[in-house]
Amino acid sequence: MKRVAWMTFLLLALTAPAMAQSPEDLANDISNKVISPFCPGVTLHDCPSPSALDMRDRIEGYARQGMDEAAIMERLEAEYGPSIRAEPSSEGAGILVWILPSVAVLTGGVLAWWLVRRWSSRRPPQTTTSPQATVELSASERQRLDAELGRLRKES
Amino acid sequence: MSPVRSLAGLGRPSLLVALLFSLIAIVAFIAAGRSGRRDLSEAGKRALYATFGFTALATISLITALLAHDFSLSYVANYTSRSLSVPYTISALWGGMEGSLLFWTTLLTGFSALAIARAPARSSRLVGGAGAVLMGIAGFFLFMVAFPGNPFAQVAGDVPIDGNGLNPLLQSPGMIIHPPLLYTGFVGFSIPFAFAIGALFTKRLDDSWFTATRQWTLFAWTALSVGIVLGGAWAYTELGWGGYWAWDPVENASFMPWLTATAFLHSVVIQEKRRMLKVWNVTLIVLTYAFAVFGTFLTRSGLLSSIHTFSEGPIGKYFLPFLALLLIGGLGMVAYRLDALRSENQLDALISRESAFIANNVLFVAAAFTVLLGTIYPIIAEVFSGIRLSVGPPFYNAIFTPIGLAIIGLTGIGPLISWRRMSKGTFWRMIRVPLAAGGLTVLILGLGGLSSPGALLSFALCVFTATAIVGEFMRGSRVYRRRDNVGAFTALNRTIARNRRRYGGYIVHLGVLLIVIGFAGNAFKVERRADMAPGDTLDIAAYTLTYEGARAATTPEKEITEAQIAVGRGDDDLGTIRPQRNLHLAQGQWQSEVAIRTNPIEDLYVVVTGFDTDGSAVIRTFVNPLTWWIWAGAAVMLAGMLVIMSGRAPVIATAAQRAPAKKQPAVAG
Repeated sequence: MKRVAWMTFLLLALTAPAMAQSPEDLANDISNKVISPFCPGVTLHDCPSPSALDMRDRIEGYARQGMDEAAIMERLEAEYGPSIRAEPSSEGAGILVWILPSVAVLTGGVLAWWLVRRWSSRRPPQTTTSPQATVELSASERQRLDAELGRLRKES
Repeated sequence: MSPVRSLAGLGRPSLLVALLFSLIAIVAFIAAGRSGRRDLSEAGKRALYATFGFTALATISLITALLAHDFSLSYVANYTSRSLSVPYTISALWGGMEGSLLFWTTLLTGFSALAIARAPARSSRLVGGAGAVLMGIAGFFLFMVAFPGNPFAQVAGDVPIDGNGLNPLLQSPGMIIHPPLLYTGFVGFSIPFAFAIGALFTKRLDDSWFTATRQWTLFAWTALSVGIVLGGAWAYTELGWGGYWAWDPVENASFMPWLTATAFLHSVVIQEKRRMLKVWNVTLIVLTYAFAVFGTFLTRSGLLSSIHTFSEGPIGKYFLPFLALLLIGGLGMVAYRLDALRSENQLDALISRESAFIANNVLFVAAAFTVLLGTIYPIIAEVFSGIRLSVGPPFYNAIFTPIGLAIIGLTGIGPLISWRRMSKGTFWRMIRVPLAAGGLTVLILGLGGLSSPGALLSFALCVFTATAIVGEFMRGSRVYRRRDNVGAFTALNRTIARNRRRYGGYIVHLGVLLIVIGFAGNAFKVERRADMAPGDTLDIAAYTLTYEGARAATTPEKEITEAQIAVGRGDDDLGTIRPQRNLHLAQGQWQSEVAIRTNPIEDLYVVVTGFDTDGSAVIRTFVNPLTWWIWAGAAVMLAGMLVIMSGRAPVIATAAQRAPAKKQPAVAG
């Protein structure tokens, strides 16, 4: 089954038609990757300001002129600075934000793996009746437990 | 003339008295925590009830001032107007910074009173410790609303005849419910946090702290979950950009405590069943509450820009030391009591449900860390490199997709593995049917033309996990069908009723899968924008939209311009939809009202972003596949949580359960 799944993926990857994007689709795509200079913390795509609509039209215009995504992004960055990119660059000041999540997952994973192995390779404790391990049941809890046990016995 | 008389004069004195009582309660509870004396604990309780009473009185005073249009209060003048309807006038209580803090404080003191009143009478020390922490937090918030964030401050100069009104974006039914639910979630986590710290403080480190607060944790998590989803629904229907989640700093602020609380809800089960992960669980609840307070800080500090933030006020600077105190104090207490928090058991085997839960915790906490990092990274980068960066949706989507899919996979694997240990052979027997179902999904959807690898993997993992969960229900039901000779529905009912926690959890997971299916649909979103004159048509996906013209109307609050758009699909006439572009008169602010035609397959989402004087309109249209399933999934999650909360308190691990493992049956709970 695993082999079938991989083969399907491979087949799909090889046969997927290369879809040419329309200028409007490219502008939509880019507007999702650009922070709006007119709405704080919001992508250009999501910003309702009329100026944001004008900027989207401008991007669509660049696309109609034949500029590709990288060229348009560079042009916007030259105009507005690196903070225009919603996706920080994977070089320079932006590198850590990309690395640290993977480091967190890997460190957590390795630590958990090590702990699980360590815990599961130890012998079980000799005694299980340390004072802290003892659970004191109240009268009502004891009564409920007895009733439940009685019901279970009856059911079985 | 409003029929309600403003009682604003009572507001601030009530807050000062409440602050005084909270200080008395702190002293009494600390003394009770140290001595274990019941009379001191009772004194603390009475002071706590009084704190709540006076805080509630202050809130009632502000509500009367809002309803009476008492514009002598700058809060009332800033956030309401005479034309505002009564529900939105009341919702202005949490529409501004000062009022929302008062609302938060009222919830906190109310929840504290309920939690302490319901805590087991026998544990005076624990109640003392928890009460002192709760009243310490309440004291901080009461100080904030009594001094720097006072909602009863008077306007400078002449009293205005009318107020500025509520932000039009907040004038939505969702906004009446969404903020209170988020606050309920945030504040609700203060109860398990306080009991955990109280337990550390008084060295009452058995299971009583989390059994006493189990319902609170579930309640807070449910409220926060529903609040987050309602926030998404509000964004979807009000903001007009065709989406529901923008990875905005304030959205992130609500998501971080949700992630760590979700990790806690899973890992605490290991503590209940195996008495392990005690340090981890206390740490998680400290982090969860710190994240909740961090969210409050973010929205009020002016540190980060967001459409959700309140205007920059004087109170942000008080939150940072408070947050530092919570974190340093909480984690410091954990470190101080490390010896007493040692696990009483070991893991029996690598392949066990415990291991799956631990892996789940790693992913949830890494996810929370990622959101925190992305939220604060622009500030860190600017401080250290002087370069302004943005961290937006593409970053989060890139990081979250693999983490989310791994969590979905684990959600499917978890129920298939028994506690303690399971042989590889049994594991394979359990997993092969869900695996086959997932593989088949890839095959069918792939051959059907679905080429997005991310969407394929999402759908396949959802089917894998759903098959695993449905298998659990079927195995459980089969026992009752055979034993009691009853129908499938009755057997299913009995299965769920017998173990509400477990099966309620599975229902929650099924809800999550539906939500993930909704998210995966986003990969096939289509968007078109057009400047349309009357009679023009626009084709999008299988729809044809014909703009028929605009209609204008005026109400006391706004000037409405409504576009009439006929919708067709092939030869079918699907009727007319009417998106609006409105001018809110009090604020002079334009706002679009979206028109949505929704069904389980796709949403047709239309928004008018402007009208020209010649009658033409700028129409933005989206076809959003499967979005309906997000809201349906949230409803299923809520149903699951209600099933869990209707269940009994967990039975703490007994000596027999703590004993070394014997071979477990394949289908262990």
